[in-house]
Amino acid sequence: MSDSEKWGWWTLGVVALTIAAYVAFVAFLGHGPATSSVFALLALTAIPASSRRYFKGRTFDERERQIAHRAGAAGFSVFWLAFVGVILAIYFIKGWNATLTVPVWALDETLWWAASLVMGVQALTTIVLHRGVPHD
Amino acid sequence: MTSREPEIKNHIRRLRFDHGEMTQDQLAKQAGVTRHTIMALEAGKYFPSLLLAFRIARVFGAPIEQVFEYRAAESNL
Repeated sequence: MSDSEKWGWWTLGVVALTIAAYVAFVAFLGHGPATSSVFALLALTAIPASSRRYFKGRTFDERERQIAHRAGAAGFSVFWLAFVGVILAIYFIKGWNATLTVPVWALDETLWWAASLVMGVQALTTIVLHRGVPHD
Repeated sequence: MTSREPEIKNHIRRLRFDHGEMTQDQLAKQAGVTRHTIMALEAGKYFPSLLLAFRIARVFGAPIEQVFEYRAAESNL
């Protein structure tokens, strides 16, 4: 398994763990504390960049670079679609001239969900694009 | 409109064995890519850039057309 694939699986695992922990914590702590504590788990995605034992660093030859570009494009495409979808949904539900008052946790949570979405799609695309090549 | 996509076949696996059973790792190091890219090339899952194609051909000391073979689609030469 290449370092890029390891990164993909690791990141996907961290995003899945974060979402699972969020769902579990929200029931007990409520949105504010759950958002603040659980999404800190996303910091675990930085481990591949610092672990020399298990991740020697993502090696980018031309194929890896192509896969990384495609994965990045897929991540931001999905983010953009979600962003436009949410904006349009607010327009249609609340109306064009409505004023929204949102708690701070909702703003935080929106940013965290966006980060999770981009990283999750990037990781999944990386794994899918590596599919079909025999492993070690 | 083409009837099917053009394909680039390669003879990397055979050439490795013709060159003293060169390993994928050895070829990868000499061509400046990862072994996974050589594996993807041999499996037909990745088409290399022109630069990489020339590098691989140079490793084998062969002209590029002996390593890579272009098979045009029937209606698209």
